[in-house]
Amino acid sequence: MSAPAQPLPQASRFRSTVDYYLTSMRTHAQTDFQYRAATYMYLIGMVAEPVIYLVVWSTIARSQGGSVNGFTAGEFAAYYIVWTLVRNMNIVFTPYGWEWRIKDGHFSGLLLRPQHPIHYDLATMAGGKVVWVLLYLPIAFALTLIFKPTFDVSALEVVVFLVAIWGAYLIRSMFLWLLGMVTFWTTRASAIFETYIMAELLLSGRLVPLQLMPGWAQTIAAFLPFKWTFFFPIEALVGDLSTASLLGGLGMQLFWTTVGAGLVWVCWRASAKHYTAVGN
Amino acid sequence: MHVSELTKIFKVPEREAGLRAAMKSLVRRHTRDVHAVDQISFDIGPGEVVGFLGPNGAGKTTTLKMLSGLLYPTSGEALVLGHVPSKREKDYLRQITLVMGNRNQLQWDLPALDSFELNRAVYRLRREDFLQARDELIELLDVGDLVRKPVRNLSLGERMKVEVVGSLLHRPRVLFLDEPTIGLDVTMQKRIRSFIAEYNRQNGATVLLTSHYMADVVALCRRVIVIHHGRILFDGNLSALSDQFAAYKTIEVDLANGQADLSTYGDVLECAGDRVKLRVPKAETPRVAARLLSEQQVADLTIEDPPIEDVIELVFAQDKPA
Amino acid sequence: MRRSLVVAWLFTRIGVMNELQYRANFFVALFQSVLTLGVGLVVLSLVFSHTQELKGWNHEELLCVMGIQIAMGGLMRATIQPNMLRLIEEVQDGNLDYALTKPEDSQLLVSVREVRVWQLVDVASGAAVVAVGVSRLESSVGLTDALALVGLLALGAVMLYCIWLILATGAFWVIRMWFLTELFEGLYQTGRWPIGVYPGWLRYSMTYLVPIGFAITVPAEAVTSRLEWGTALTAVVFATALFAFTRWFWRFGLRRYAGASA
Repeated sequence: MSAPAQPLPQASRFRSTVDYYLTSMRTHAQTDFQYRAATYMYLIGMVAEPVIYLVVWSTIARSQGGSVNGFTAGEFAAYYIVWTLVRNMNIVFTPYGWEWRIKDGHFSGLLLRPQHPIHYDLATMAGGKVVWVLLYLPIAFALTLIFKPTFDVSALEVVVFLVAIWGAYLIRSMFLWLLGMVTFWTTRASAIFETYIMAELLLSGRLVPLQLMPGWAQTIAAFLPFKWTFFFPIEALVGDLSTASLLGGLGMQLFWTTVGAGLVWVCWRASAKHYTAVGN
Repeated sequence: MHVSELTKIFKVPEREAGLRAAMKSLVRRHTRDVHAVDQISFDIGPGEVVGFLGPNGAGKTTTLKMLSGLLYPTSGEALVLGHVPSKREKDYLRQITLVMGNRNQLQWDLPALDSFELNRAVYRLRREDFLQARDELIELLDVGDLVRKPVRNLSLGERMKVEVVGSLLHRPRVLFLDEPTIGLDVTMQKRIRSFIAEYNRQNGATVLLTSHYMADVVALCRRVIVIHHGRILFDGNLSALSDQFAAYKTIEVDLANGQADLSTYGDVLECAGDRVKLRVPKAETPRVAARLLSEQQVADLTIEDPPIEDVIELVFAQDKPA
Repeated sequence: MRRSLVVAWLFTRIGVMNELQYRANFFVALFQSVLTLGVGLVVLSLVFSHTQELKGWNHEELLCVMGIQIAMGGLMRATIQPNMLRLIEEVQDGNLDYALTKPEDSQLLVSVREVRVWQLVDVASGAAVVAVGVSRLESSVGLTDALALVGLLALGAVMLYCIWLILATGAFWVIRMWFLTELFEGLYQTGRWPIGVYPGWLRYSMTYLVPIGFAITVPAEAVTSRLEWGTALTAVVFATALFAFTRWFWRFGLRRYAGASA
């Protein structure tokens, strides 16, 4: 076995990428499954947020004679329970995680590979999702028994939903990757991140269904990517969107994913150079 | 590889201890320029095994990081395999590997075999190339039963071996090894060293190794670059090192007639009963030895080169920080 | 006892000195505090754009609840949380031994070592919110109410500390508790609303199992003049019992830890 005078012949780029994603997803699903007890604890903390919203808005609905802006208690229940499924899918690596892994030296390891580090994040989180959703289903079932959601779904809605949750995952991955790169430039990235989260809370349908927000807020939300990470996937399943809206929504998700990816691509080169100038 | 006037300067904030100084630093930030690497130049040909020797903080790891693309140099240029490392081109990254002692790049919770599969995909290896490399490396390092266990269950030495396998799967032409034997027990150190030597012999891959263990360098490298305070103090063969810096030898004499004062022959380093150790300038050694043999009653006489550790210490001691 | 207080004070002083160096952290904490407060106010106004009262609590009263939750949160993030997170880390990497070999009570030591002074801005902003809420109330706050408020806040803080320590003690068994901050933050949000809002079994758990809601609603009741003696008494008894249990549980976990690492 001798070191080749030229670099080794490579497998095709497309095949390697698919191969990488599948292998990563498999190995990370395995790892995450080992830590299922810890994952359950995390999920309980995650579920607290929508359950609180659900309880508050159901209470309001009941005190207002059954519904608020057309949402009955049952419909709120449906919204927030589907919310949890969507949330499971759109949790991604935060700038806090970036700070940790830069300090840890793990990020340098990623830089040594002939592969853009974002693939690592996308692939590993995607693998984790599979495990999370599986582990989560019993909790979803329990919530359904407790809060008695009401909704009816069509086959098309289910299909669109299944695609839309991955769309939400991709959009949020891209934008939080952008925020992650900010950690290279400043140690106060948390401030920017918190601002993002607050904006997202109000304009994405995370806090309440967007129909309950004042009109001007809904207008603003239409021009931002947040809506497509929470509201659209939830409404696809729970609401009564027309086929045009469903498919148009998927198109918007594609649009925002492309925008996010483009921004990442533009910023990465400068960020990497800045990072390697400082080192760790 | 070709390195010319490579420099890396870090800006380090400076702050004295104490509350008052802490308050002052809020208002005005003092930074100091630390020349981690200061205009170093060297050329390394293919297949060479070169040791970077220096105490902690000398700039060894910084140099290695610059050559592997992890660190952007402040000035100067470096060319490895025809690429500029700081550009981090994919073609370049595919031909090198960086192994750092004490750091893990394998997945912690899974058997190493799974991590190898990930590397296969990352480095875009063809299945047959990958399997061949993997099996050969596993055999060379004898880790067949270790690769099925989760990495976290392995001992430090076992982890290092498995780490090395993972980092060589893509048959890199250049190996950057940063303190690969640190923290390992003596047996494992020897094992890793012999592996690297064997790998270099079989493969012709270039190896750049940093260490502050002399034994690593002595065992592996014919050529040594001594670096201290970011500057190169010596670049050449190991034997030439002692010639340049410590041109003396030690003569150990067992006297048959009991004690004697041998201070006229050279510097007496030790004197324990009838055994005396002398330090003698290299050039005069044959003459002094001949005199001893003829003028004293010598039961046994040994001539030795100074231990390399002492030489290195001398090298460092001679260099003063700028 | 006096000695323990002195030790606690010394640690706190060092913690404060450490934190004071990082002036930028103050601005970050202030920024985050303003942000969270802003969103909280938006949420409240959103709720009250659709209704007049929530299970008997009106807008001003809910402001008081929110203010108390924010203030307690600030206190918690400044004093309790950093210590608990450090405890978990040290159990994981074995550095807890350093704390255990000191001649001071281990529970005290692990509870007071860290202080994040700048998180206390939340105490200020929370207090401001409560003040605004109280000033707009129809009923006025008398002296007994104020005293009850302070006492119940203290009890509430004790309860929060106990929950955190119980959860953190779990690290002796579970070791990897990376999820704890998210878990607690999630549960802590339940304190944003008075526990009367929650349906039966949920309210019960929040009162007795994880008494976050209890810790926050009861002081709020004092300020909004709906406090009953029975509730106050329950709070005292419960806090005491919880503290006793926490101490026992800590020692239990410690024995296991000391036994495990030979």
